[in-house]
Amino acid sequence: MNIEEIRTSGQLELYVTGSLPAEEVRELEQALAQYPELREDIEQLEATLIQLAEAATPPLPALVWTYILNAIRNVQKLDTQATTRTNWAAITGWAAAILCIAGIFWMLKETNELREDIRYTTTQNVILEEQVQTTETQLANTNELLDILRSKEYAAFTLPGNQAVAPQAYAKVYFNKKDQIAYIDARGLPPAPQDKVYQVWSLIMDPLTPRSVGLLEPSKEIEGGVYRFDNIPDPEAFGITLEPAGGSESPTLQQLYTLGTVAP
Amino acid sequence: MEQPNELIIAMQGGDEKAFSKLYTMYSEALHGIIYSIVLDEGVAEEVLQDVFIKIWDNSKSYSVEKGRFFTWILNIARNTAIDQTRSKAFKNSRKNLSTSNFVDILSSHENLNRKTNSIGIKKFVEKLKPACIQIIDLLYFKGFTQADAAKDLQLPLGTLKTRNRNCLRDLRTIVLG
Repeated sequence: MNIEEIRTSGQLELYVTGSLPAEEVRELEQALAQYPELREDIEQLEATLIQLAEAATPPLPALVWTYILNAIRNVQKLDTQATTRTNWAAITGWAAAILCIAGIFWMLKETNELREDIRYTTTQNVILEEQVQTTETQLANTNELLDILRSKEYAAFTLPGNQAVAPQAYAKVYFNKKDQIAYIDARGLPPAPQDKVYQVWSLIMDPLTPRSVGLLEPSKEIEGGVYRFDNIPDPEAFGITLEPAGGSESPTLQQLYTLGTVAP
Repeated sequence: MEQPNELIIAMQGGDEKAFSKLYTMYSEALHGIIYSIVLDEGVAEEVLQDVFIKIWDNSKSYSVEKGRFFTWILNIARNTAIDQTRSKAFKNSRKNLSTSNFVDILSSHENLNRKTNSIGIKKFVEKLKPACIQIIDLLYFKGFTQADAAKDLQLPLGTLKTRNRNCLRDLRTIVLG
């Protein structure tokens, strides 16, 4: 076939629309190689058909291209990374499980520690309650004592220190003449040495008659170094001596710490 | 229009930019072909996506030495669209759809493609002889082989070829000016 025969045969049109059988395509392509100017005919046919099809297209959203691009990129990634891809979902799951277990252990430990704390605090509370009770008792005793000492039935006087033995010492006496009760505040006395004890004496001056009132010992202590003694016959003076443990029949005058007369 | 062989070869080497340019050049024509087969805008878009993914994936099976690139992608588009119309889901959703050709589509379009001279083409194709419309529809839009088209139209093969040639020559005069 010469070039004009090919142009008028209708084969070029069918070639462009892909309607020829494979055998005729091969024949035509041989002819096309022989007559390169036929390419222009084909390009014009192609351009015509492309414009016709473009005229028939509905609007084409830009998203379509985005989708295509994503699709070909995902495929590429799968090709190169499928074997080494890390299973993040599984790792995350295991990590969460481990964290959860660690969290439970930590919370158990915290709970035990808190229990310990509670036990300790409870003990402390008991101790503190006891202290409060003790303090309240002390306060009540002190208040009671103060009430007694401030009442008009009690006369107060000071026993000054013996210049020869203890010039700085002193004692205070609160005496109820009517009920024959005496409170001795011994704060002004130095602490008694071991194996020694202070002994209180009531004195009649003429003739000088000492009579033991009692020892400054814990059984007589009311509160904070204040001692109470009962059944004291009308004395004219009080004296305090340091005696061996257990006390003495008569006062050791060399160890007379304080001495004072009862106020009239 | 000269075939963009450099772009095609670049795409075969995995160049996304070249592929993007080829999409810009051919996507509307292929979309028009696909739409004339599936007659549904959403389905046509999905088929077009599949077609271009196939073009990318199989680009190496085409050679610029042999055959026209447009003919190659035209075949992929028509075959993918026809496969779609044969799927069960597609048949179920479109039992009573009447057949339609490119002239019907052009006439019914409200938003004509502004890129091409759609209005001029529309005026012309509406004046095409019914025989031309049938031939172009079957051979170009529906992908019939020459033998199948001759059989469908009950024409001798020679007559089909001549008519097709004359119809396309008239079309070319109008479209390309």
